Amino acid sequence: MAIRARAVTDRKQMSYVPLGFRAALGRFAMTHRTDYTRARFIAGFLAVPVLLYLIYVISPYAQAFYIAMTNWRGVSATPQFVGLENFQRLLGDGVFWTAVGHNALLLVLLPLLTIAIALFFAFLLNVAGESGGVSGIWGARFYRVVFFFPQVLAVAIVAVLFQQVFRPDKSGMLNAPLMALGLEPVGFLSNPDVAFWSILGVLVWQAVGFYVVLFSAGMASIPREMFEAARIDGAGRVQLFFQVTLPLLWDTVQVGLIYLGIAALDVFAIVWVMTAEHGGPDHSTTVMAAEIYRNAFQYFRFGYASALGVVLFFFTVAFAVLAMRLSRRDRIEF
Amino acid sequence: MVSQAGKVRLSRSAARERRRARLGPLSGLSHLALVVWTVLVAVPILWTFLASVKSEDEIFGSAWSLPASLRWDNWARAWDHAHIGQYMLNSVVVVAFGTFGTMLFGSMAAYVLARYQFRGNRAIYLLFVSGLAFPVYLALTPLFFVVQNMGSVPLIGQFIGLDSRGGLVLVYIAYSLPFTVFFLSAFFRTLPQAVAEAAFVDGASHSRVFFQIMLPMARPGIVSITIFNVLGQWNQYQIPLVLLSGQAKDKWVLTQGIADISTAAGYDADWSALFAALSMAILPMLVVYTIFQRQIQAGLTAGALK
Amino acid sequence: MADNSFSRRELLRSAALAGLLLPAAGTLSACATPAGGGGSTPATQATGAKSAANPLGIAEDKPFEVVIFDGGYGDAYAKNIHEPLFNTKHAKVQIKHTATKEIAKTLQPRFAGGNPPEFINNSGDNSMDFGALAQDGQLQDLTELLDAPSWDDPNVKVRDTILPAAIELGTLDGKYCVLEYANTVWGIWYSKKLFDDNGWQVPKTWDEFTALCETIKKSGKCAPFTYAGKHPFYIYETILTLAAKIGGVDVLKNIDNLADGAWKAEPIAKAAGAFADLGAKYLLQGTEGLDHIQTQTAHNKYKVAMLPCGSWLENEQKDSTPSDFGYSMFPLPSFTDADALPYGTVHSRPGEEYFVAAKSANPRAGMEYMRAMLSKEGAGKFSELLSTLTVVKGAAEGRTLSSGLASASTALQNAGTNTTYFRFRQWYQPLHDEVAAATGQLMSGRLKVAEWADRCQKKADEIKNDSSVKKFTR
Repeated sequence: MAIRARAVTDRKQMSYVPLGFRAALGRFAMTHRTDYTRARFIAGFLAVPVLLYLIYVISPYAQAFYIAMTNWRGVSATPQFVGLENFQRLLGDGVFWTAVGHNALLLVLLPLLTIAIALFFAFLLNVAGESGGVSGIWGARFYRVVFFFPQVLAVAIVAVLFQQVFRPDKSGMLNAPLMALGLEPVGFLSNPDVAFWSILGVLVWQAVGFYVVLFSAGMASIPREMFEAARIDGAGRVQLFFQVTLPLLWDTVQVGLIYLGIAALDVFAIVWVMTAEHGGPDHSTTVMAAEIYRNAFQYFRFGYASALGVVLFFFTVAFAVLAMRLSRRDRIEF
Repeated sequence: MVSQAGKVRLSRSAARERRRARLGPLSGLSHLALVVWTVLVAVPILWTFLASVKSEDEIFGSAWSLPASLRWDNWARAWDHAHIGQYMLNSVVVVAFGTFGTMLFGSMAAYVLARYQFRGNRAIYLLFVSGLAFPVYLALTPLFFVVQNMGSVPLIGQFIGLDSRGGLVLVYIAYSLPFTVFFLSAFFRTLPQAVAEAAFVDGASHSRVFFQIMLPMARPGIVSITIFNVLGQWNQYQIPLVLLSGQAKDKWVLTQGIADISTAAGYDADWSALFAALSMAILPMLVVYTIFQRQIQAGLTAGALK
Repeated sequence: MADNSFSRRELLRSAALAGLLLPAAGTLSACATPAGGGGSTPATQATGAKSAANPLGIAEDKPFEVVIFDGGYGDAYAKNIHEPLFNTKHAKVQIKHTATKEIAKTLQPRFAGGNPPEFINNSGDNSMDFGALAQDGQLQDLTELLDAPSWDDPNVKVRDTILPAAIELGTLDGKYCVLEYANTVWGIWYSKKLFDDNGWQVPKTWDEFTALCETIKKSGKCAPFTYAGKHPFYIYETILTLAAKIGGVDVLKNIDNLADGAWKAEPIAKAAGAFADLGAKYLLQGTEGLDHIQTQTAHNKYKVAMLPCGSWLENEQKDSTPSDFGYSMFPLPSFTDADALPYGTVHSRPGEEYFVAAKSANPRAGMEYMRAMLSKEGAGKFSELLSTLTVVKGAAEGRTLSSGLASASTALQNAGTNTTYFRFRQWYQPLHDEVAAATGQLMSGRLKVAEWADRCQKKADEIKNDSSVKKFTR
């Protein structure tokens, strides 16, 4: 067959029915046959995933939007339609807005702190080593392995663990040394002015390792000559970081920002398992997901809880839209 | 962006000297920062291990005291009464099937959506990807009923309804699809065309091209997303909590089991067993991770950087 | 690096599209509505012929399910006492026993799905909301049980074997439908050994109480007072009981009935102020961050002298209590001579809720099971095993009572009719949560009494004005 000699190499061409092949054999004989097998293949490959997705993901969400407009309390099969009443009520729900405030704070602080710390460590581990120029610091591999540990622990497990770490008496890991020094123990989870920061601390603690690894990989893909060139130009570590590393890593940092932003909006298990009053004390650590869960599975106000869920949904979508708008930026190609 | 102009040719040793002079004092601090973070990460975990062999009294005593004797019976108690082994096995089974299913169906969908043009392609793709923005808490209650109704499907109902591992696996697959399809389709788009073209010309079928050519070519992406899914499904707490009730304790996954022991510690006051159970949950993960850390780190980043 | 701005734009556009698609996907939701009309009554509920041995007419061959909250009481009492007792009269009825710590999470879906278990011990932190259950007609009317002959004596009705308060409290909407089984007495608990060793006396007035706290504090032996800081219910319970003692039972009735300004009544402010002072001066260090087990264990270790709790305490702590500890309790001291209720008044109420699911397959068996629980044997053995009184009159007589239970039993006898209780915790959980949160802050000095009352009142008003919440009155 003559057509074997050349393959179609147009990369933009997405269809896998080779045009050259078709042309050579004539549209007439083969078109129907190939279209049919191609359609069958597409349908066959998509059927199961799409079906699963429609049944388990789309249909529950669709129902949730409906439930948000009912006063369903979860135990009856006949939810009563109440229109937008739930949404009106949530406008005056102080606790929910406190939760929104906490999520907003997390949305800013969690990515900021995590990325700052992770970038710092990744830079130390990969670029700032003293031996042979731009290689990593001594023991870099070890640090990368250890830093990642928290990431492999389930969030529920981390929450139980830190509950013990933060205990307010001398059996608490952190308070024991403070009290040994004669200082007042800190109510890491019991003082409403401190509890939120303890939560943030745990979230950052768990997240940093992943981003150290992510940024390390990003830095590893930056051509060495760029660092060499900058160093020969007389750049110090700080300049090296801000003038070479950060700009070239900006894409990866953006990915991190979006991941962490979504994670900040989804915080639940840490707060629910770890804090008193599930988001307390005195609502000082509560987040949107906790209020949704509380209203649904503790107060049995499924209608209202779904309305809160719908609000969270729109916040998440708004964040995604905003993040993608802001993150479009020129990059350096290599 | 970076000035390439001033490439002054210094001798290598002179350059090294200059660097050392400039960077020297900072190195100590860098090491200090790294060591501090290592301590922050490792100590709570090690402390948990230590507490797991303490007696009840010692746990309520000073946090940093060493145990008088190593009480391995805490571990035995956690293993026997808290069924940690069973929970762990369940987690492994559910995550294994869940991840396999996710990768199989996810890559099939992503491949078709990425490389075939047909009517409805955009709509289906966007439908999948929009799932990334859905907060799962919104769907929990209706999801429960969906799974419950699946239980009444003839023949297979009992394997995919409530309180079944099969049901949980299907839900895991469905909820992992948005992320998987989103990243893998981006990945498939970047693969070169030529090899597949040649195979088609040789008369290979569409599915053969996928399984024997495109899938192996996409390996870095597949590995990476697989690791993401394993971690994500292993850590899942909310969904099993709703779908596997107290009646099906023999099917509970590890996160449920640990949270339950933590709640139980509030009633039975068996804190040493809690720490032992925590240690048992943590240890295998650390061991597995440490063994495969090179592959995991490489895989994780391959996908995210694409 | 690959161009990923393309994929991000996709995400953005798809998010917008999701908004358009979701309503369309609504057509799919038909397959996900609760099975068989959800909460509707099963077509056939099991019944059998009524007879002297079977006054409620249960089906002698139909199984039923017992769900026990696996908390402070564990589930052994059901497994080893009540279930075998039930089977002595109905040998062929199979009982499916389920124990869980998460009642709501386990059962709520089953209710909505139309296949609830028959008999449910709806207790604990994660119990189901009785208001919601009542609203949806899920609670079986137990009047028939009250009028049935008792397990022990066919000539005495069940109604006459139990405390009247149990019937009053179990009545929702004029219908008796919740069995409050365990009779709980609240008070301040101490170690008889510790008090005797130090010559400390049980205080009868508030002044004596604060003087005792001062003495204990100065002795340096231990902290005077603590409570389960992570669960401020334990302390708002004492505040409200003291308020009732100062101002009379109407103080708590008004709160339960969501009366205007109920939380701003003077007796409440006095009681809250008294405990806020106590909180400022005499609490065990770190109290606000400790839970009930941690504080109670500290108590067992003689690190603190007194804590408020209900009469389940002794059983809850049985594994960590030293053998010579000598658990005892005393009622709240009198605030002034002008108190509306006399010394000895206690907060006592039947608790530990059980109900039969009206829409289950075999509700009559659930009722019969309750009849067995309310027998002298069922209740007496329960008291013995769990150091807890029950609502069955005289059931504990002749049983060996532990020291704590004996002192609780004495306190209850001394109180006579001077008992108080409040019900909003069960009726309006969001109010309970808010009062708990605010009280935690009151005790740690972050809220003034007036601010505390404002917050409680605000929440009460909010609930009062929320038309979707079912209201109760007493």
